[in-house]
Amino acid sequence: MPDPTAAAFELTHRPVLVPVALTSPCIALLPLPEGTVIQILGPAARVEDVCAITDATGFSLRGNGPGQWFAVGDEPDKFAELAATLPDGFTAIDQSHGRVRIAIEGESVGEVLAKGTGVDLALFETGRAATTLIGHVATHLARISDDRFELLVTRSFAENVWDDLKIMAAEYLGVSHE
Amino acid sequence: MASLISCPHCGIRPKEEYAIKGAALPRPAPDAPRSVWFDHVFLRDNPRGPYEEYWHHAGGCRRWLIVTRDTATHEVLACRDAGAEPAVTA
Repeated sequence: MPDPTAAAFELTHRPVLVPVALTSPCIALLPLPEGTVIQILGPAARVEDVCAITDATGFSLRGNGPGQWFAVGDEPDKFAELAATLPDGFTAIDQSHGRVRIAIEGESVGEVLAKGTGVDLALFETGRAATTLIGHVATHLARISDDRFELLVTRSFAENVWDDLKIMAAEYLGVSHE
Repeated sequence: MASLISCPHCGIRPKEEYAIKGAALPRPAPDAPRSVWFDHVFLRDNPRGPYEEYWHHAGGCRRWLIVTRDTATHEVLACRDAGAEPAVTA
């Protein structure tokens, strides 16, 4: 029998960041779609097994320290599909509700991010990913290309990081940061 | 304080990314006398010179590390993952 109170308590998904990009000729801050984010834990030596699964299911795989990965994709509700094909020895945790992605791109991206993180971005090649602090917030940083990074932050800190990024990028966006 | 710690997984990162637990000491046997456990838990030697400590890379790879730090000069002499150490797994 359907629960008569279900409709009253139906959850509505609202993005935590206003989906409006901030752009200038040399820098752009882009809130990304809240699709699917999956944390994967398992033996570090078997990274190829995880790669094969994420490639087949259309996720982008990003390292996060030894034996830890994030699989991210733009489409929502894809957790079950990946979890069903995960080999023995690995654990997947759905973080789609808990983490938010932000992209930052443009020729000044290195100068902007260097104001907030201790990672040496000159040595951080395309394809690398790591967790670091941006200000006081633990943020997963992935270099997508020479002038594009993606940030993954816990949902409750996303607005804070977005505001910090606005301040860090203010001189390149041509706005006052007050 | 030593301000740059060379994480074996993440590279050189500022100390703000880490949490320090304290001295990395060999763990007594589970049935050791209470006096030995009291010493292990509460009493510290505070030596001058190289000193091994547990550091947690809380704002990074979230691995426990053993950092060898000189208490007089704050120089970081070595940094290795604690997972392979018998003192942790005992």
